[in-house]
Amino acid sequence: MESSAYISLKDVVFSRSGRRIFDGITLDIPKGKITAIMGPSGTGKTTLLRVIGGQLKPDSGQVSVAGHEVPKLKRKELYRLREKMGMLFQSGALFTDISVFENVAFPLRVHTSLPEDMIRDIVLMKLEAVGLRGARDLMPSELSGGMTRRVALARSIALDPELIMYDEPFTGQDPIAMGVLVKLIRDLNSSMGLTSVLVSHDVPESLSICHYACIIADGKVIGTGTPDELRNHPSELVQQFLSGQPDGPVPFHYPASNPVDDFGIKGASI
Amino acid sequence: MDYVAGFGRRSLEVVGSLGRATQFLFGVLVGVPKPATGFPLLIKQLYSVGVLSLAIVVVSGLFIGMVLALQGYTILSDYGSEAAIGQMIALTLVRELGPVVTALLFAGRAGSALTAEIGLMKATEQLSSMEMMGVDPLRRVIAPRLWAGFIAMPILAMIFSVVGIWGGMLVGVDWLGVFEGSFWGNMQSSVDFVDDVLNGVIKSVVFGFVCAWIAVYQGYDCVPTSAGISSATTKTVVYSSLAVLGLDFVLTAVMFGDF
Repeated sequence: MESSAYISLKDVVFSRSGRRIFDGITLDIPKGKITAIMGPSGTGKTTLLRVIGGQLKPDSGQVSVAGHEVPKLKRKELYRLREKMGMLFQSGALFTDISVFENVAFPLRVHTSLPEDMIRDIVLMKLEAVGLRGARDLMPSELSGGMTRRVALARSIALDPELIMYDEPFTGQDPIAMGVLVKLIRDLNSSMGLTSVLVSHDVPESLSICHYACIIADGKVIGTGTPDELRNHPSELVQQFLSGQPDGPVPFHYPASNPVDDFGIKGASI
Repeated sequence: MDYVAGFGRRSLEVVGSLGRATQFLFGVLVGVPKPATGFPLLIKQLYSVGVLSLAIVVVSGLFIGMVLALQGYTILSDYGSEAAIGQMIALTLVRELGPVVTALLFAGRAGSALTAEIGLMKATEQLSSMEMMGVDPLRRVIAPRLWAGFIAMPILAMIFSVVGIWGGMLVGVDWLGVFEGSFWGNMQSSVDFVDDVLNGVIKSVVFGFVCAWIAVYQGYDCVPTSAGISSATTKTVVYSSLAVLGLDFVLTAVMFGDF
């Protein structure tokens, strides 16, 4: 990766409820590019975003964002760093008791002392960027799933962050909504010069927009590189994931006792 | 052996939960929001936990005052002391029933709503998104709700007592015919501001603080699923009720226990 790293993870180990989620992950995420983090369900992709955002502390290892060692930051410093980050949650996470306009205006009202007319202009510009200027007066309960994520996206770019993290942005979206989100992620990255981290298991969509991709499985990075490099990756596990094969290094069957014991077929062996 | 292990595990869970709740409370009390942003949030929550609880508090206070008058009259008239009914109603309400019943109603109406609201905000990642926007949810969401409960409870308890006394007068004076001068006169001479009214207010302040703390903590600490929120809401009502009744005994013993 030729660009300088905006986010750097080194030997990150993280466990939860006695289960080791990351077993020494090392990863560099370049500045100004879209990096997709992919992997089978339950491998800790969202957890990785939370570790980067400082919501979870690793057991050991280094997590650096924009030169700051995130786990070592004091609360105030961490919150200041987060003002440079935007995060699009899987559910959108809009505040349900306020309108679309107020949701987008929320970070501006909290972190700036801009006059009301300027806040209004910025909010409408951000909503225009996601194509929802006309939905400013709607309540979150009146939005479709795709619209919810677009409003959440407008909110997460309200403060013009340096970094934006997308948590499964394509999950549960119809083809049109997915196409809109793919376009928005690509356009926002190029127009705002954002560093984007995209966590997803939607392989075609993610590879179509990312500059770099990384695949996580069994708590480790099993493959990293440009989309083309990954497509030609020698690892069977990477190929199974990218092509969606039902059986392979990740077995179809969950580990179980001998079928003969369960089905009681005497004299048979499987 | 399993029983002992289970008991030990449960004890550790309880101690851990108490530790988290105390740490949580410290975080909320230390992180006081700026007045310019905190005050509008506090007003909104005062409306939601205080004003919206008025109806249930007023109606309950009225009926409890009326029942006290009926029961009191029945017993006191046997001894020809029905004139003391005002004194009995006022002392019962101001010292005990006002703070205690209001706290129980508060836990059921406002406390459960606070837990469910915060729990749902957690389940829908609203609290996480706030954190990621650089906004501390303890300051923005929890602190205004805790302070609102703390402020609203004593006011609601006072309203409860006032309405209860009025309900007692309706039944005692207007219906059962107790002399109005005796009703108010006995009340005035026997109810002491510091010993009775102030102690009642102190009780309601303590109950308000405990109920609001339990409610916001249960919401914040709940498992973010529908079953988790349901369980947290139930815990809020049960723990608050038990805490109020237990603390009432302790406070009563301290305040009025100079036997």
